[in-house]
Order: sequence, then C-alpha cells, then structure tokens
Amino acid sequence: MTEIFASLYEFFGFLPFYSKDFADHLRGWAADCSGYTGTVWYNIIAFTMTGVIALGYALMYHIIDSSKWNKKQHWWIVSLVIIALNWFIAFIIPFNAIRAGDYCKELLLTINDCVGFGFSNAIWSLILFILLTSFKYPKISSKNCRYTTFWNP
Amino acid sequence: MPKLFIFAIGGTGSRVLKSLAMLLAAGVKPDRKQDFEIVPMIIDPHIQNQDLQRTKRLLENYKSIVDKVKLGNGFFNTDITPLNDDAQDPNFVFNLRADSESENTFRDYIALNTINDANKPLAEVLFSGKSINNLGNSIDLLDIQMDIGFVGNPNIGSVVLNQFKDFEEFRDFSNKFNEQDRIFIISSIFGGTGAAGFPIILKNIRNAINLQNAVARGFLQNAKVGALTVCPYFNIQANENSPIQRSHFIAKTRAALYYYKDNITGNNSVNALYYIGDDYIGEAYQNDPGNSGQKNKAHFIELASALAIIDFLDIPDEQLRCNNGRAQNPIYKQFAIRNDIQEITFADLCDGTNGKIELRLSQLTFLYKYVNKHLREALEQQPWTQDEPRIDDAFLNTPFYRTYLSQFLDSYKDWLTEMAENKRAFSPFNLNSNLETLIKGRQVKGGIFGGRVDYNRFDDYLNRAAHDQQYASAEQKFVKLFFDATKNLLTEKFGFQKQ
Repeated sequence: MTEIFASLYEFFGFLPFYSKDFADHLRGWAADCSGYTGTVWYNIIAFTMTGVIALGYALMYHIIDSSKWNKKQHWWIVSLVIIALNWFIAFIIPFNAIRAGDYCKELLLTINDCVGFGFSNAIWSLILFILLTSFKYPKISSKNCRYTTFWNP
Repeated sequence: MPKLFIFAIGGTGSRVLKSLAMLLAAGVKPDRKQDFEIVPMIIDPHIQNQDLQRTKRLLENYKSIVDKVKLGNGFFNTDITPLNDDAQDPNFVFNLRADSESENTFRDYIALNTINDANKPLAEVLFSGKSINNLGNSIDLLDIQMDIGFVGNPNIGSVVLNQFKDFEEFRDFSNKFNEQDRIFIISSIFGGTGAAGFPIILKNIRNAINLQNAVARGFLQNAKVGALTVCPYFNIQANENSPIQRSHFIAKTRAALYYYKDNITGNNSVNALYYIGDDYIGEAYQNDPGNSGQKNKAHFIELASALAIIDFLDIPDEQLRCNNGRAQNPIYKQFAIRNDIQEITFADLCDGTNGKIELRLSQLTFLYKYVNKHLREALEQQPWTQDEPRIDDAFLNTPFYRTYLSQFLDSYKDWLTEMAENKRAFSPFNLNSNLETLIKGRQVKGGIFGGRVDYNRFDDYLNRAAHDQQYASAEQKFVKLFFDATKNLLTEKFGFQKQ
C-alpha cells in the first residue's frame, strides 16, 4: 500500500516537489534512524486526501445536490476547496514534525519539501476528483448534479 | 373507451368548450374511474365567429398534442377527437352551411319566393321584424345573412336547425354512437342559435328511432343525455341599431323556459340538466353581431359550465337510465360559489369545485410560467434536459413545441387573463408575479430548510422527477415530467393535497 501511494506522490519526480530525504521521512524512516519503522505519512496523507475528496464529492453531489449549484464553475469551486485542503494537510503534518524535531536528523528536510509535497497532494486530489466525477457512476445517483463534470454543463 | 359526444351550440357553446379543453389539458378528470373520449361538435352557422375560430384552433392543438404524447401523462389526459376523425380533413365544426352558396339570406333559405300566395303572408308575419347586416345597416329579418348566425332570433334558428337530422354529420354521429356513450348539449338560452338548437337536437336524438338512416337509433333514443342551459351572464353595450339587446335577454330566457317546461323538463327528455347564469351586471361586451362578431372575453360562468360536463361524467350509469326516450330519474343542478364577490379566487369556490380544479390549474400555470420565463435557461444546463430523450434547441423547434404546445399555453394564458379582466372576474393567479405569490391565497410553507420557491427550486423538482425515469419520446417526457414535478412542488411547498 505504502509503495503504491509513494509511487503516486513521487510520480512527478522528487524535484522540484520534494527531496529524496523527505520521501524517506514520509515512508516512515524512524526518528532514531534505525529503519522504516516510524509513522508512514504517505498512507495517512493519502487516506486523508481520499476522505477529503469523498467529502467534497458527497457534499456537492448528494448533500447539497442543488440545481443552483450544478454548473462547471461550481465544480471548480468545490475542487479548489479540495485542492486547498489537501495542500494544507500535506503541508502542515510534515511541517509540524519538522518543527517538533520528530524526524531522523540524518535527513535533510526543509520547508520547501513540505510545500512541494503539498503541491503533489493537491495535484493528485484534483486528478482523483476529476476521475471520480467524470464517469457515469457513482454520480448518476445524484438528482441535480448527475451530469456535472469539470467541463460540463 | 366510451365516448361523450358534445354538441356545443352557438358562441356560448364554443366558449364553454374552450374552458373544457383548458380543464382537460390541466388534467381535470371525473372522480369516477371511467375514462371518456370527448367528441365535440361545434354547431354555429356563424363560421367566422371569433369565439368559434379560437376554440377550433385550441381543439386542434390539443388533439395534435395528444396524438404525439398519448394519454397517461397527467396533462392532456383525455382524448378529444373530431367526429369525422377518420376523414381526410377532420373537423370539430358541424357544417351547417353545405348549401350556402345559393342561400345567402334567410329569404333564400326558406325559398320565400316559391311559397304559394296563401302561405307567403303567414311566413312574412312569422318572420317579420328588423335586424342588421354585417355592415351594420338595418334590414328586414327575412334578409338576415345566413353566415352570421341567427343574431338573437331563435325563430329563425329553429327553422334552419330543424334540418339537423338530415346533415351528414348527424348521420355520422348516429352511426358511431354506442350504448355506453353519452351525449351533452351546451347552449345558451338567451340568444338565437343555442336557444333554438338545444330542443331541436334533443328532439332528434330522442326521436331517432324514427330515423331510417340512423344505425344506432335504438341506442340514441335511450341515450344518456346531459345538457347545460346557460342563462344570461354577461352584459353587452347598448346599441339601438343592434338586434341584440340586453333588455331582451330575460324575456327570451323566460319564454324559452316556458317552452322547456313542456318540451324538455316536463316530458323528462333529458337525464341531467344544468342551469347556470349570473345576474351580476358587469363590464359590457362590444355589441357586434356582424362579420367580426363575438370575440367575447372568457368568463367564469363558462368555466363553471365546463365543470358541469365533468360533473355529468361523474354520474353513474344507473342514475341515467331511460325508457322509451324518457329519463327515469332526471337530475337538475345549479352551480354556486361560496362568496358573492366581484373577484373570485380559488378560496371563494366551494370545496368540491376547488378540490377538482385548484391543483390542476395551478400545475398548468406553473408549466406556463416555466416555459415562458425559464425554459431556455435550463436547456443543456439541467439534468432533466440532458437525460435521454433530450430536451434541447431541436426540441424547441419541433412543431409539437413551437406550434401546438406553445400556442395552447398562450391560449391558456389569454383565457386566464380574460377571465381575470372580466366582471365578475375569476382571478386565482397573479400571472405577472414570481412563483411564490403566483397562486392567490397560497403561501409557501415555512421551515428552516424550506427555502424559496423559484425557478431553481422548480428545476430541483424536475431533476428529481426525471431521475431514473424512462420516456417514450421527448414530447411525452416534457408533458409527463412537468405534471409530476409541478404536482410534487405544489403539494410539498404550497400545501396542496396529493391527488
């Protein structure tokens, strides 16, 4: 599971988004530098991203589900909120760890890595939200947004 | 399906028929489960009568809509077909003028010049008096032109309409009539055509047993016949040159009722007879009996009259039995409203009437508003338009939408507007307001999440109603969807009871 998430996040390459040391930290490199026995941040942040996307989707397509809010511009508003939230989550969690010194000191981690990882998370959240809302299912069960995608109507 | 043959006589007959078409378009039906096919026959020698022409167009549009969407869609849920539906040129109008080319005046019609010297003076006395021609000039009654109706002269109408049984349409009718079918006759009692036509048509039906060319003459003799006699209900402008005078209305009504007492009600010729009228003296109509005559504003009395037809269909067969052409238990009915006021709304109608029409007319009015105010905005934007079959620009250019439905809805709006402008007025809708205040006396139900009722909310209901539904065609989808959505919207947001 970790490798799947890691390969997704690292799909864009380590540069310019974040360094290899930062990737090791996200894979769970322990604070005492003994191996990959620490918290696997890739999994946590990926699951959180999935949850945020699901929440945004449910909110727009099934909870609000309004004929007034079913245009492509509304899709983009929701997606921007999802993107912003996922960027923030992916930024703040490793940032707090760095600030608290809760990482292997042999790794060279910077704030830029946190920002870059945030971008990676944000881009994937956009891609997944596009995929989730581009196919007929599950959005066909929405009453007012069953044809709403990033380009339609 | 049994048929209801309606003889709509004269200008009043056409106008009542128009109101009936509006009610049927809105989905008003009898409470009984038995459906009827409506076969209207407009009987009016005044073919250029604007009321007749408007009703004819309306019925043609109605028929075209039903032909396209079929029944079972809520709106337009009763079949209206012309008597000669199988003919090349189906027509709702009874052709009284087949020989008109050579018979321009009543004098020609009765061939006065060929009557022998002994009888000629009698005919001249019987038809003495004055009338006007279509230019408004004074003429002898005998010179009345046959193409502008009987202009308030039932004595002339009775002569012409006495040929009724010989008309091709009557033969066609008698061939198509079946035992389970019914007949309804609409006429006014205070004019010329209706006052003369009603007793003659009824007599020909009850005496059909003697007609050699009537296939269904046995059925016709004991047919279930209802009739509506419209008593004076409108005012006309005073014009001393016109043969039509309001002051004559009551005298003519009284004379006709005396005649009915012996020949209709007195001998139980009719199974159910509805009397309707209004002594309220309201806005005067233009007094124009000529060529462009009779384009009267729609009136509430005509709507109430149309409800008499629905009521007649609600009467069980057992109560409409006849024996030797005589009704066993004749029924006589009148119509009343709750409050004697100048401007009637739904709240002023009695519960039975209100329950029958308020929801349905409100639904059709919501459809009219949406089509005129919001439909184009919704195209390609709302899921109900994107679901297959799609409602798109191509649909808006079909004859169904562009001609039949649009024209019908425009007529519906005119009908509502005219009734609201008339005196006494029937004004149940604020046609120029927003959806929330559209129905007078109805408010949107409150609640924290109740929300406004606007066109977005309307779209919500359309999208929900269309979800997971299958439709045979775009036309059927359009009609059925709007019926379902407006019903849900009005019951959930405006507190209507589900029907």
